[in-house]
Amino acid sequence: MITGIPVSTILMITGFGLTLTGLWGMLTHRNIMRIIISFVLMGTGFNIVMVASGYVTGATAPIIDTALGLGEAGARAIDPVPSALVVTAIVIGFSVTAVMLAFAIRLYAAKKTLSIDAFTESKW
Amino acid sequence: MMKRAFAVLAVALMALVFMGVIGDYVELQALRPLARHYVTEVPAQLGAPNVVTGILISWRGFDTLGEVAVLFMVAASIGLLLKKDSAGGAAAGGRDARPPAGEIVTTGAMVLLPLIFTFGAYVIVNGHLSAGGGFQGGAIVASGVMLMLVASPSATLNTALLGVIESAAGVLYVCLGVLGLVLAGGFLDPRFLPKGQFGAFISAGAIPLISALLGVKVGAELSVIIDRFRS
Amino acid sequence: MVAAAFHPLGIFLFGLGGGFALPLLHRLGKGWLAGGFFLALGGIVLASGAGLLRLLAGEPAIEVLTAGAMPPVSINLRLGLWEAFFAVSVNVTALLGAWRLWDRLRGSYGALLLYLILVMGIDGMIMTRDLFNLFVFLEIVSIATYGLLGLSQAPAALAAAFKYIMATVVASSLFLVGSVLLYHVAGTLNIDELIAGAGALNRPMAVAALLMLLAGLLIELKPFPANGWGLDVYETAPGGIAAMVSVGVSAGVFFALLKLSPLFGAQLGIIAFSGAVTFLFSNLIGLSQTRTQRLLGYSSIGQMGLMTLALGALAQIDAAAAAPLVIGGLFVNHLLAKAGLFWLAETLGMEKIDSRAGLRNRPLTLALLGLLIVAIAGLPPFPGFWAKWELVMRLTAAGAHQWTMIVLVGSLLEAAYMFRWFGLTLRHNTSARAGHVDSQPETDASRLLPPLAAGLLLLAAGGLAADMAGVAVQWLFTPLLAGAILFAVDSVLPGRLKAVAMLLATLAAGLWLIWPITGIAALFANLLLAGGVVIAAASLYRADARPGFYPLMATLLLAIMTLLRAQDSLSFFFSWELVTLASYFLIARSPRASRYLLTFLLFSLAAAYFLMAGFATVAANAGALELAALRLPGGEMEVAFALLVAGFLIKAGVLGAHVWLPGSYAEAEDDMSAMLSGVISKVAIYGLLLVTYLAIRTGVKLELAHVMAWIGLLTVIGGALMALRQQDFKRLLACSSMSQLGYIIIAIALMSHLGWVTALYLVANHLMVKGILFLGVAGIVARTGARRFVSTGGLVRAMPLTFVMMCLAVVSMSGLPPLMGFGGKWLLLAAMMEQGWNLLAIASLFGTFLGFLYMIRLIQGLFAGPRAEGQEQVREASVFLLAPQALLAAGIIVLSLFPKLLFEPVSAAIDPQFAAGLVWEGMSLEKIYAAWNPTPALLAALGASALLFAGFWLLWRRKAATGGLPRFYAHYRMVIGRSLPPVAIMFWEGVAAGANAVANLARRPYTGNGQTYVLYVVYYFLAVYVAGGGWSALTR
Repeated sequence: MITGIPVSTILMITGFGLTLTGLWGMLTHRNIMRIIISFVLMGTGFNIVMVASGYVTGATAPIIDTALGLGEAGARAIDPVPSALVVTAIVIGFSVTAVMLAFAIRLYAAKKTLSIDAFTESKW
Repeated sequence: MMKRAFAVLAVALMALVFMGVIGDYVELQALRPLARHYVTEVPAQLGAPNVVTGILISWRGFDTLGEVAVLFMVAASIGLLLKKDSAGGAAAGGRDARPPAGEIVTTGAMVLLPLIFTFGAYVIVNGHLSAGGGFQGGAIVASGVMLMLVASPSATLNTALLGVIESAAGVLYVCLGVLGLVLAGGFLDPRFLPKGQFGAFISAGAIPLISALLGVKVGAELSVIIDRFRS
Repeated sequence: MVAAAFHPLGIFLFGLGGGFALPLLHRLGKGWLAGGFFLALGGIVLASGAGLLRLLAGEPAIEVLTAGAMPPVSINLRLGLWEAFFAVSVNVTALLGAWRLWDRLRGSYGALLLYLILVMGIDGMIMTRDLFNLFVFLEIVSIATYGLLGLSQAPAALAAAFKYIMATVVASSLFLVGSVLLYHVAGTLNIDELIAGAGALNRPMAVAALLMLLAGLLIELKPFPANGWGLDVYETAPGGIAAMVSVGVSAGVFFALLKLSPLFGAQLGIIAFSGAVTFLFSNLIGLSQTRTQRLLGYSSIGQMGLMTLALGALAQIDAAAAAPLVIGGLFVNHLLAKAGLFWLAETLGMEKIDSRAGLRNRPLTLALLGLLIVAIAGLPPFPGFWAKWELVMRLTAAGAHQWTMIVLVGSLLEAAYMFRWFGLTLRHNTSARAGHVDSQPETDASRLLPPLAAGLLLLAAGGLAADMAGVAVQWLFTPLLAGAILFAVDSVLPGRLKAVAMLLATLAAGLWLIWPITGIAALFANLLLAGGVVIAAASLYRADARPGFYPLMATLLLAIMTLLRAQDSLSFFFSWELVTLASYFLIARSPRASRYLLTFLLFSLAAAYFLMAGFATVAANAGALELAALRLPGGEMEVAFALLVAGFLIKAGVLGAHVWLPGSYAEAEDDMSAMLSGVISKVAIYGLLLVTYLAIRTGVKLELAHVMAWIGLLTVIGGALMALRQQDFKRLLACSSMSQLGYIIIAIALMSHLGWVTALYLVANHLMVKGILFLGVAGIVARTGARRFVSTGGLVRAMPLTFVMMCLAVVSMSGLPPLMGFGGKWLLLAAMMEQGWNLLAIASLFGTFLGFLYMIRLIQGLFAGPRAEGQEQVREASVFLLAPQALLAAGIIVLSLFPKLLFEPVSAAIDPQFAAGLVWEGMSLEKIYAAWNPTPALLAALGASALLFAGFWLLWRRKAATGGLPRFYAHYRMVIGRSLPPVAIMFWEGVAAGANAVANLARRPYTGNGQTYVLYVVYYFLAVYVAGGGWSALTR
């Protein structure tokens, strides 16, 4: 057996790394488009973490076919729940991105700029 | 600069939080009872080889319905937000002025589009058998639509028809859910149609039907969203 | 099929099916679209309402299973009583909101479907029992909100929406990851299973996941300071949408927190702390806010903070039994009142709180605004009042004094800015330029309907909450009932007929109310009812409509009666707040009083909150709410005594806390001034007498009582000096009231039989004297239009009856024989000497001398000297003013001739309070009065006064001044003005300026930059993570 870091841990590190990248981007970039991309990065990172958390050592996708017989499914399938949740999470992430982009278009139309610093009308 | 320093600190602290989570992460060695139940009972009770699709459409169908509602609302929201622009004369003029796509794109699209649509349809209708499903297939179809729009910028989508399709698919989805309530065990129960032969194309109760509806709905919705952004 | 439609599942069928179908209906036509929308929304309301009815009938919680499988395999939802209550409240409000927003929604099917699915999503958040499904519903709600925020075209609104999206996406991402990581640890997403296994969730990953969930929810509730994005949306969104975010979306998120709170057993402190900080700071910052919707935003966030605080703190002290009343009450109160205010502000087009609203001519709108503001401030009879009372009782009983303090201080701040807004809506159209007639008609009824419905629902909910709070007596609500009936006919009947109706109603209901009262309370009841009705009868002198005056007057007088009848502290406090509110609105009727209105209210409420804290302390020690418990020996009663006395003294207007008194007494309408000074001031005195029962039983009573006596004395002298400074004779009388109440306070502080008898005697005297003086002055003001000494004089021939009556009153007040004031003053002196408080006695003589001075000034300035220019045709005052004065004067004369009429019942009432072993051993008053010869003391005092007067006169002459008495007064007015700066006013203005400065400082973090707000959100999570033990779980 190969010893070392388990594959899902690597995935988790990747996912959290991506999340941190997104976080960094949304906190430092001024351009709204870049901020939106950062949000997408953060979301993707979290999605990877979620998928990784369902991995079972040495198991395969939970689809009954030639690779996974009916009888052995209980022993050799990964946890299907996180996979199912991630489908939903991806769709929701997509939705949020679409709405943000639509707002970005409207904001640009209003001020002809995409700098987040330009949109501070209401405060205090 | 202060802000940047605070941002660095925030990201560093978040990294510590995440490291804590990873440090405590232990890869699962076996399925927990609930997951085991899903893996064995989706094929057994629902007759769907693809466990994830089975869960999504039946036992967590309520989530899926909500998810569809989210997409539906996004289409409506973007319609609200970007309506003014497409109605304005300037935007319409801009569309006419858009340069035609290049030769390669146009030809590529002609070759690829049939393939993409076929693949999308395949992924949609085989969701219960293999990797895929309504959402995935719908997204593929919508990407085809996007390619089409890129290839011929002057083309117009019949968004009105697409709107009717997405609404009708949504209403039908709810109706199928109610059928499950009336004919089978509960709201969104797909077992009001026969389970059929395990692994066959027509099997797994109403799952393929719902999956197809989802595919149509998602494809139409995403296409509408893409079209709204285009203007 | 019908039964199925009214199953809770119907909420989702109507919501989603309706939502999906709306675009199709849109193609069929406008009527179809509107019909479909309201059918679906109505269906949601009915489905939840039917569920609530079933549950109220005693059925068990309704489980909604999906996909034909049992949880945890499939997602399930539950409609229990809690869920149904929240869902129905939100749905009904949403229906009203849709009506309100119809102008905006109607145009687009997109907006309609977003609104519909939003409502369904909130219900889903409330009902679902699956953690991930909760996330899905959270996102449904969020996306619908984002879309609806896009309805507004203004750049500021779009920018605010974008900030909102950024912050909430971070929050919901935390929630998402938290729930999936929790699944990794626990192997289930079912909330019931998670709660059942909550004890095992202590791995670092589980702790991190829980903290992510908690932080996600708390951030969605907009905690200070990570909430600028929420405020911006409240400020810029259309009012109807802001209302929905404020009450609907927040309700969903709050319920999620409530539902998951068993998972957060270790984090309850964080929840409570977060709520407390948010409540305190939002309300503080609200002070310096001028834009209406942002103001309401601060209030919304504050209310959510309060609910969060209640949730955390009640769970911490194991008082979950109080949750339905406290959390349910606060929730429904905020829901209806805040939504109503957002709707109303938008309807009236009040962008800023000082926008010209022209409300004075629109009594219904004004009443509605007042009602909603009273509700949001947590005052009776609304659910927030009962909830706050219960919360304070529970917190105090558990010794959680820090939370009690935050609740009370925050409430006071919130009342400050809400009522400031109310005051400004009144002020503006009175400052209308000359010739400009404010002729705005009453607001369009259909636009007023949603807030009106909210107001009526609030009243109903208030009744329900009162029932839950354990109010067993129906008579408590008599004042409100009488007020409501009179308000109903207020715009129909002519002025004088309304006055008669009010008098009859007050007399009948008042007699019925005070029938069973005994003891000291009975004395007060008879006195105040008689005095109150006589003084109220003077309102007949004005024939105009006086919108709102008569219902409020009836409420005020009857609330005093219920206060006197109250047997427990809750009824007492309820009536107390009613008296405060009715007085506030009555004073508010006078445009001149607008400057003093807020001060009056804030000091009254501060007093009330001291009382609440005091009663809570008593209840915590005695374990009962009965007022009789005040008399039981208890443990730490000193604190309770100090709190209660502080409250009553503030309300009595003692020196230092008097700044509210002269302005509001003087600037109220003329007959209302008589009522304030004559009748209402006595309520505080009654309270003071009531709590001294307590002091008698505590060890430190005499020290505290001595302090109280000195406070009373300072008030006597301070009030008298202030009175001497006045050039406005109504103001002089106001200051004189303050001074006279000081004597009564001294008398009570004596804590002896004689002292108390004196106190009651002085109460009766002051009531009649001040009634006469203020009504007499009302007549002079009505005839001459003057309020200053410089523009009056020589009225003795023109108004002889007024002159006689006022002279009689002045003599009685100054304590000169043979009238009843004489008895009172000398009794007081005797009682002080008896107690050995000689210094006090001497000092109070000096006060009496000052009293002589300003009384002479009053009579001389009004009636002596030459007639002022242009007043040659002045006639005697209206008979409607003279008759009540005559009645009061007759009272003075009768009681002067037959003092036994008063002394006997007074003595009888007091005896039980001073049982054997106490100072006077039941010696009968008659004996004291007869045995003690006051003549030498009287002569001495008069002599001293004469000497003092001569001294001051000589001093003035030495300064080479010439002229008569007016010059003499002018000189000393200057001397007093120079030597006595208005320290108290300066102090309180400093406090107000300080609060505003702190508020301005505290809102600096709200830079308006969305990115900065995201940074706050991240740091907020980190703070929750650290406080919640995330670090320690790591290092373990």
